[in-house]
Amino acid sequence: MSIFHRIISGIQDAAYIWRQEMKQAFKDEGVLIFFIIVPLIYPLLYSWIYNNEVVHEVPVVVVDDCHSGLSRELVRKLDASADVKVLCHAADMDEARSLVSRQLAKGIYYIPSDFAIRLNRMEQATLSVYCDMSLMLAYKAIYQTAVNVTQYMGAEMQKKLSGKYTVREEQIAARPLDFQDVPIFNPQGGYGTFVIPAVLMLIFQQTLVLGIGLAAGTVREKSHYGDLVPMHPAYGGIYRIVFGKSLCYIMIYAVMGAYLTLVVPRIFSFVAMVKGMDLLCLMIPYLLACVFFGMTVSCLVRYRENVMLLMVFISLPLLFMVGISWPQSAIPGVWQGVSWLFPSTFGARAYVRMNTMGATLGDVTTEVRALWIQAAFYFGVTCLVYGHQLREARRHAAEALAAVTNAD
Amino acid sequence: MLHNPMYGCCMVVFPILAMIFFTSLMDEGLPEDMPVGVVDLDNTTTSRSLIRRLDGFQSSKVVAHYTSVAEARRAIQENQIYAFLYIPKGTTDDLLASRQPMISYYYNLASIMSGSLLMKDLKTISTLGSAGVGQATMRAKGYTQEQIMAFLQPIRIDLHQVGNPYTNYNSYLSTVFVPGIMMLFIFMISAYSLGMELKFNTGKEWLAMADNRIVVAIIGKFLTQALIWLALIFFYEFYVFSILGFPHQGSVAMLILLAVLEVFAAQGFGIFAFGLMPSLRMSLSVCSLWAVLSMSMAGSAFPVMGMDGALQSLSWLFPLRHYYMVYQICVFNGFPLLEAWFHFVAMVGFTLLPWFVVSKIKNAMLTYVYIP
Repeated sequence: MSIFHRIISGIQDAAYIWRQEMKQAFKDEGVLIFFIIVPLIYPLLYSWIYNNEVVHEVPVVVVDDCHSGLSRELVRKLDASADVKVLCHAADMDEARSLVSRQLAKGIYYIPSDFAIRLNRMEQATLSVYCDMSLMLAYKAIYQTAVNVTQYMGAEMQKKLSGKYTVREEQIAARPLDFQDVPIFNPQGGYGTFVIPAVLMLIFQQTLVLGIGLAAGTVREKSHYGDLVPMHPAYGGIYRIVFGKSLCYIMIYAVMGAYLTLVVPRIFSFVAMVKGMDLLCLMIPYLLACVFFGMTVSCLVRYRENVMLLMVFISLPLLFMVGISWPQSAIPGVWQGVSWLFPSTFGARAYVRMNTMGATLGDVTTEVRALWIQAAFYFGVTCLVYGHQLREARRHAAEALAAVTNAD
Repeated sequence: MLHNPMYGCCMVVFPILAMIFFTSLMDEGLPEDMPVGVVDLDNTTTSRSLIRRLDGFQSSKVVAHYTSVAEARRAIQENQIYAFLYIPKGTTDDLLASRQPMISYYYNLASIMSGSLLMKDLKTISTLGSAGVGQATMRAKGYTQEQIMAFLQPIRIDLHQVGNPYTNYNSYLSTVFVPGIMMLFIFMISAYSLGMELKFNTGKEWLAMADNRIVVAIIGKFLTQALIWLALIFFYEFYVFSILGFPHQGSVAMLILLAVLEVFAAQGFGIFAFGLMPSLRMSLSVCSLWAVLSMSMAGSAFPVMGMDGALQSLSWLFPLRHYYMVYQICVFNGFPLLEAWFHFVAMVGFTLLPWFVVSKIKNAMLTYVYIP
């Protein structure tokens, strides 16, 4: 047979396998759940959870032992801030503590009885802040509000005391060196804007791997010998199997990927600064890396459900290894190394930087290169494991044939 | 059970791996020495001392100097630095001439934790920079240190970080996510072990061993698993609270009660999920999706009180949410169990959920045929 014929028959076989795989994906509800339903619904759920972005009006309780004009001014200013709401005044610390223990308040502001006296004597006064540390965002709100309000009141007092003549002089005396903090890329500090892009990329990888694993598990269970490769003349070569199958997954996830990266951020108006071509250049290697990674993993599982037990629990560690919840520079070297095995690490890093931080493709070349390397590596591994599966299937077929001929 | 390696992996190996992962990942407690950059166009002793001071902070480490803001921003986008300090030309001159110069600090809040930590460092050095000038002037005029402090900072904040004085992120995140992952495995293994009976058609034998009494059969099956889970969770509690020394105010009895609640509530949910959909694949899918969602719905990172009203009610459907609340109220803060009665009752409720579906499970075991 000429090389030309071999190529033609290879393409025909790959197309046949592709069709079989497509049919199976849409017939099998387990696969359908992970290929279609979860990628459609989950991002919406997560976006809904984090859509409020920030926590305002954290309830706190005030114990004012001072009862002076100054202490009341302080409480008014604390209450007027965006992040904190004064729930009530408590008579003493015990009462305040009981309000915290009943989860009605998240912190206590305690103003000691000598607060105003000390300030009027030109001594340093104290505002005690007690925070329930179980919620970091609540702690941040309570503490930062206290810092801002006391700094503001302090500056007002300095101005009165400084004995300058003009307003400008007073301002300079209170703050000789002015500073400005500029939060960039997520100026309101929104939780959704920060976590959703990485979650989207993780959903992409995890559902794809779970779906491929389930599909492979089904094939094995249907086969008499637990083979991944069915006995059919079209399944005659490694490359046609790998190409045929991956083509099916790539097709489905090209659509899903577009939905995850383009539609979802826009539905919830999250930051979306990525440009079309740049996104395409990232998603192609990411998709390939994920598909071949999934096909490699799918060869490891004997029963279809096992892939769920294997893959689901690593979702959370994977999210942490992306390095947004916990800064990448603080991840220990061992885990950095482990994280290189998973496409999501690089995919999510690059996507967050392009989508949320407006980086261009040139800024994420390291990640994109890593994804291409992963795609090539997992493609190689997939071919190896499918080669092994193919030999197993042939051996089983030969044995079955021998058994049949012997029986005759 | 011993013949299937999945049990060994999911009941021992993976949970321990997850435990090691989270506790070692956040071993530092607070991220230290995060890379920051500097755009110093002033380049005087004053600006350099400011930079040195920034470098001296626990969280920040000055790794690079840039010649322009645009270049520094690009470095953030390339992930080389997380924030940068911009000192414009003439800052020192203006400072000495009392023209109130302005320095700026740009930090990347696309990563909230590192961003807000670095912001705190900046605020401190900027305030110190301001105070330094005032301090020098006042000292020259002959004020005492107390007078200077009272002038520069009239109201001091006395901060009490109750229960976590070091702002240790490890003890704050690991104590929710590790139990969350354990619950995930308990959910899945509970449904899996019932489903495998169905899949390999051993359900009838299993019921026969208990004289066809489904309640006995379920208790027998899950009590053994519960013992393994409990051993694992006790080991985890011992590891984090005794060896790693996470702060907690709860008693040992409370920790034991919490572990028992965690295991039984999660098993209850897993069995219930299988009872609702007596198919291995569907119940496993539901369990895994529920467990992954519960990490967010527990409300430890983004608080439940900040979510929409409907979600606040939905959070009651997640055992991990109740676990987190009981842990937070009774162990972390050491308040009496009475304050968490609702969540305690809810966890008992989850334990009793299988009651509604035992007959359905029995029926499934006796009559259903596994369809792949």
